[in-house]
Amino acid sequence: MPASPILEAIHHAGRIILGKDRQIRLALVCLLARGHLLIEDLPGVGKTILAHVLARLLGLNFHRIQCTADMLPADIIGVSIYDRNTGGFQFHPGPIFAQVILVDEINRATPKSQSALLEAMEEHQVTCEGETRPLPEPFFVIATQNPYHQIGTFPLPESQLDRFLMRIEMGYPDQAAERELLAGADRRDMVASLNPCMEPGELIELQRAVREVHVSGALIAYVQALAEHTRRSPDFEAGLSPRAALSLLRAARAWALIDRRDLVLPEDIQAVLPAVAGHRLHPSGGAPTASSADIAAALVGAVPIP
Amino acid sequence: MQELWLFASAGMSLLPHVEHAPIWLTIAVGAALAWRTAIWWRRTALPSRWLLNFLVAAGSAGIFLTFNQFFGKDPGIALLICFLALKLLEMRRVRDGLAIIFLCYFLLLTHFLNEQGIGVAGFTLATLVVVTAALASLGHGGRPAADHLRQSVLMLAQAAPFMLVLFLLFPRVQGPLWGMPADAYSAMSGLSDSMSPGSISNLSLSGEIAFRVKFEGDLPPRPALYWRGPVLSLYDGRTWRADARQRKVSPHDTAAGPTYRYSVTLEPHNKHWLFVLEMPWKLPPDAILARDYQLLSKTPVRSRIRYEAQSHLEFVPGADESEVSLRRHLALPANNPRTRALAEKWRQELATDEGIVRRMLDHFRQEKFFYTLTPPLLGENSIDQFLFETRRGFCEHYASAFVFAMRAAGVPARVVTGYQGGEENPVDGYMIVRQSDAHAWAEVWLKDKGWVRVDPTAAIAPNRIEAGLASAVLAGEPLPFLVRTDLSWFRGIRFRWEALSNSWNQWVLGYNPQRQREVLSRLGMREPDWKTMTAAMAVLCGLLLLGLVFWTLHKRIRIDPTVRAWNLLSRKLAHLGLARRDWEGPMDFFNRVALSRPELAHPMQAIVALYIDLRYGKQNDQSAQQRLRKLVSNLEIIAKR
Amino acid sequence: MQATASFKRWLFRLYGPEAAPIILTQRRVYVLPTKAGLTYAAALGFMLIGAINYNLSLGYALIFLLAGLGLVALLHTFRNLVQLEIFPGHVEPVFAGDMAHFSLQLLNRRNQGRFSINLRFEGGGAVSTDPAASASTLVRLPLPTSRRGWLHPGRITLETRFPLCLVRAWSYVEPDMRCLVYPRPEKSAPPLPLSAAGESGGSRSGLGTEDFAGLRSHQLADSPRHVAWKAVARGQPLLTKQFAGASTTQVWLDWFEMPPELGIEARLSRLTRWLIDAHAQGLAYRVRLPGKEIPLGMGARHYQDCLEALALYGD
Repeated sequence: MPASPILEAIHHAGRIILGKDRQIRLALVCLLARGHLLIEDLPGVGKTILAHVLARLLGLNFHRIQCTADMLPADIIGVSIYDRNTGGFQFHPGPIFAQVILVDEINRATPKSQSALLEAMEEHQVTCEGETRPLPEPFFVIATQNPYHQIGTFPLPESQLDRFLMRIEMGYPDQAAERELLAGADRRDMVASLNPCMEPGELIELQRAVREVHVSGALIAYVQALAEHTRRSPDFEAGLSPRAALSLLRAARAWALIDRRDLVLPEDIQAVLPAVAGHRLHPSGGAPTASSADIAAALVGAVPIP
Repeated sequence: MQELWLFASAGMSLLPHVEHAPIWLTIAVGAALAWRTAIWWRRTALPSRWLLNFLVAAGSAGIFLTFNQFFGKDPGIALLICFLALKLLEMRRVRDGLAIIFLCYFLLLTHFLNEQGIGVAGFTLATLVVVTAALASLGHGGRPAADHLRQSVLMLAQAAPFMLVLFLLFPRVQGPLWGMPADAYSAMSGLSDSMSPGSISNLSLSGEIAFRVKFEGDLPPRPALYWRGPVLSLYDGRTWRADARQRKVSPHDTAAGPTYRYSVTLEPHNKHWLFVLEMPWKLPPDAILARDYQLLSKTPVRSRIRYEAQSHLEFVPGADESEVSLRRHLALPANNPRTRALAEKWRQELATDEGIVRRMLDHFRQEKFFYTLTPPLLGENSIDQFLFETRRGFCEHYASAFVFAMRAAGVPARVVTGYQGGEENPVDGYMIVRQSDAHAWAEVWLKDKGWVRVDPTAAIAPNRIEAGLASAVLAGEPLPFLVRTDLSWFRGIRFRWEALSNSWNQWVLGYNPQRQREVLSRLGMREPDWKTMTAAMAVLCGLLLLGLVFWTLHKRIRIDPTVRAWNLLSRKLAHLGLARRDWEGPMDFFNRVALSRPELAHPMQAIVALYIDLRYGKQNDQSAQQRLRKLVSNLEIIAKR
Repeated sequence: MQATASFKRWLFRLYGPEAAPIILTQRRVYVLPTKAGLTYAAALGFMLIGAINYNLSLGYALIFLLAGLGLVALLHTFRNLVQLEIFPGHVEPVFAGDMAHFSLQLLNRRNQGRFSINLRFEGGGAVSTDPAASASTLVRLPLPTSRRGWLHPGRITLETRFPLCLVRAWSYVEPDMRCLVYPRPEKSAPPLPLSAAGESGGSRSGLGTEDFAGLRSHQLADSPRHVAWKAVARGQPLLTKQFAGASTTQVWLDWFEMPPELGIEARLSRLTRWLIDAHAQGLAYRVRLPGKEIPLGMGARHYQDCLEALALYGD
C-alpha cells in the first residue's frame, strides 16, 4: 500500500508529540488532501513542534511567520528591491516561499496581511508587482490562533475560515503523556535528529493517490444528507456550504488512504467531520461554547446513513 | 401570460358562434377583442367602469332590438357572447378571469344547440383544453405555457373515465323539461308542407343528410325508392299545400309483392312527417297514418329519431275513395287557360283516364322539355308559361303541371313530395338519403286501381330516377359537392366519414333513455331503472376516485438489494440487542458486534467486506448482491441464554 | 367561543408544537371547494338542466367531463400539499417592532414540482412558494413583533388552490420554533456614557502604537512622519500610511447608573440603543443588569450575548 511511509511518519511523530496521534493524523490528512490547517489553542501545547516535525519527517523545507499588527503583506510575500549592480529590480521572496509554513497567531495580523496570506494559500501562487510567482509544491500552511486573548486582534472572518480545510485543537496532554514529556529529552534536539521518511516527490504521488480513492453514490448521499441536515436544522445558524461538503469528501479520501483503503466509508466522513465542519458550523443561540467534537457528534447522531 | 390564455379561450369559444350570431354582434365582439389585445400589448389602462356599464346597456339593447326578446336560444347566446366580450375588458382580478372561463364553458355548451357533429366535438375538446389551461394559468401565473397545457391535458385525460361512466349511467330524462322557446329549432331544414316553384330545387343544392335507412335483407331496386312525405292536394294557382283536415286510417290489409323491413334514423326537421318507403304497411308505434297515406308523428321531429317500418312496393291504396274526396282532388283555381284548353281537348279526344295520363307523359317526352336545377322565373300563369314557353323545369314544375293538367281533364290527382333514391354506404351498409334527393311526383286516381303513382320527371329525365340527380341535370349546373360523380376517391373517404358520423349519431347523439336501457341490458344489467343506474354510477365513480387517490399517494420506493440485505442483517442482530444504529458505519458496526459476540466475528467479516465492496466500492454486479443476500440469510444467530 | 376553539383543535388535531420533521400525511390535509369551486358546481348544474331540456347529448358529455375535471382538481389540489415535509429552520433574532422571519425548509420528495403553496402565521403575512421536485425549498415567514423575549409563533396555515383555484387544500402545523426578540432600541437616547470609561483610563492594545491599516495616496496635508518611505525607496509614488483607530475605549452599560425615574422597559430600551451604538463604533463594553453581569468584551458574539441578556431580562 502506498500509505506506509505515512504510517511510519505518524509513528515517528507520535514519539515526539506524545498522546496526540489523532491530531498528527489529521494534520497529515490535511496535507495529503492539499488543504491547510488551522490550529486553535493556547500557546505551549506543541503547535510549533507539530509543524516542525511534519516538515522534517516529510523532507520539506520549513518557514515560520510570526504575525504582528505592523506586518505588511510584503513582509509575507516578499519585495522587489532595486539592485544597483544589475540595474533592475530583483525579487526577494518572503517567508511564504517554503513548503511548510507555520503562521503563528494569525489573528494578530491586520486583515490586509491576512487576506494576502489566505489568497496565496488558495491560489498556490503570489502576485507581486504584476508578476505571478508559483509557490513550491507541496505547499502546506499551518496557522495558529489563540482563541482566548481577543483584544487588539483581528479574528479571522467566517469567509476566511472556510479557506482552511481543517481546524483542530491540540488540547493538554493527558497525565501519562505529560509525565513522559517532562521526563524525556529536549524536544528540539529530538526534532533535529529526525530523518525524513520519504522524498518530496513521493508526497506529491500520495496527494495524487488521494484523488483516486473511490467515492460511491451511497457515500455522496450520506455527505449530502449531513449537509442538508445542517441547513434545515434550527440547531445551526447557517448550514454547510457545498464547498464545505466537498472539503469533507476530500479529507475523508485522505483519511481512507492513510487507513490503506481505496474506498471511502461513512466512518471516514465521521472521523474528519469535527475537524472539517467544526469551524464552519455555528450552533445557534443556546450553546455558544460547544466544541467541534460536540457539534460533530450531535450532527452524526442526527443523520442516519442512507 | 394569463391574459393571453384568456384571450385564446374567449376567441376559441366565440369562433363557432360567428356563423349564427347577428352580424353586428360579431363585428362588435371582434372589435372588443382587438381593443383588449391592444390594451394588453401597449399596457394601457382598461376602460372605466362607466364606459363598461354603457357598453353592457348598449349591447343588451341591441340584442333586444334584434330578437325582440331576451328569452330564447338565440338572444340568450347573444347575451352570453356580449357578456364574455365585455368581461374581457374588465379583467382586473382572478375573479374576473374565473367569470370569463365559466362564460366560455357556457358558450361551448350553447354551441351544441346549433350543431353536434364529430367535428364540433373535436373542436370543443380542443377549446376545452385551452380554456382549462387558462384556468390553470389563473392558479399559477408564473409557469411556462407548455406546463399549463400539459396540466390541462393530464387533468382532462383523468376526467375522461368519469365522463364515460356518467355518460353511460347517468339516468337519462327525455327533454324538454319545460316549453321550448319558439325559435329553438329554426336552424333545421327539410321539406315543408307547401310547394311552389323553386322550393325543392333549392333544397336539392344541399348535401345534408335527411335520413338514413338500414334494410334487413335485400335492398329494393333503385327506381322503386320513393320515400313518401307530404302529400299536397290543395292548389291556389301558385302554391300546393297539404290538406290539414285528415282522418286517421289503418294501412290496407291487402298487400302484394315482397315485404321490406327497415329502420329509419331521421334527422330532425321540426315537422311531423316520418318518411317511409311507398307504401307503408306495418307502422312504427306512435305514428299516425293519414287518409292520404302521409305518416305523421304526434310531435314535431325535433331530435334525431329512429323508427322501424315495413313496406310493400306493389300495394296501392285508395280504391274505395269517396265521391267527396275525389271531387276535392279535382278542384282548380281559374287561371292557366291554355293548359285547361289543352286538357279539355285531350278529354274529348281520349276515352280513358289512363289514355289521358299517357298522352300527357308523351307530351313531355315529345316536346322539347328540359330538366334543370335553374329554371327561369315564372309569372302569374305559371303552368301555362312553363308548358308552352319556357319548358325548362325541375321536378316540382313537372309534378305541378302534370297534376294541374290531370285535374283540368277531370282525372283526380295530387302532388306527393318526399325523397327519391338514396345511396348505400358500403362501409356500414346504411342507405343515406340526402336533401338533394328531395323529389316531387304525382298520384292519379284510376277507377278499380286506386291511387297510382305517376312520375312525370321520369318521362323527361329517366336518369334522375335510375341513377340520381347528378346524371340527370345538364352539364355545368351547380350540384352539391357530395353528389358529384367525378370524384370517386373522394366518395370512398366520404363513405367512411359518413359511416363514422352515423355511428356517432346512433351511439353518442342518439343516446336517449331508450338507447340507454338497450345498452345497459346488453351490458348485463337487468331491468335498469334510475336507482340501479345511480348505484352503479356511484360505485364506478368511487372506484375511479380510489384509483386516482392511489395515484395521488403513490410513492415509488425501490430499495437497493444490497441495502435490503444489510437491513436484514441488522434485524437479525437486533435479537441479540445488537441492531445497527442509524448513523453507524459498517466497520464500526462490525467492531461492536465482534467485540460483544466474538463467535460472530468470522461470518460477519465476509458479510461486511462484501457489503462495503458493493455499497462503497466499485463492485456492482448482481451475483455479488445475491451472494450477500445468501450470506446474510445463512448467518445463524444463537440468542444468549 | 371557547367551545369552537376546542372543537377546532379536536377537528384539526392541533396538539401544540411538534418535533421535526412534520410530514403532512393525508389525515391532516383538508380539502373543500372554494367559492369559485361552488360557482363552478352551480354552473354545471345549470348547464345540466339546459342539456336535459334541449336533449343535447354532447352537452351531457361536456358537463360530465367538466364534473370529472372538478373531481380530478380536488385530488390534484390535495396532492399538491400532501406528503410535504416541513423542517423548522433558523430564526434570526430581531428588535421588537421589527419583522421576525422564521425560516422553514419544505422538503418535496416527489419527483414532480409543487406549486403555489401559501404559508402564513396567524397574524403574519402570507408567503407563496413553489417547492421544486425532489428538493427542499427555503421559505421565510414574516411575523411582526411587539414585545421583547421569546416569541412563539404558534401555528402555520399551509394552503394551496393549485391547479384550478376550484378547491382549497390546507393543513395546520405548529413547528417547534421561537424567535429571540431584543428590546426596542430607544429612539432619542442620550449619547453613550463614554465619560464613565475615561476613569478606567482606556487601555491601548499590543505594543502601544496604533495599528497599521494600509496605504493611500499622499496628500499635501499629511504629516511627513506617516509617509511610507520604504515604498518611496522602491521607486513608488508618495504614499501615506494609515492607522486604524482601533482604540479599545471601554464602555460601561450599567442598569444602576440610569436615572431612577426610568421604568424597566425604558431602561432596557436605552441599554439596547447604547449597545447598538457601542458595537457599531467598535468599542469594548460591559453590561450590568440586576443579578447578571457580562464582562468586558467586543465582537459579534459578545454583542449577541449582551442583547440576549437584555431580551430575556426577568424571564
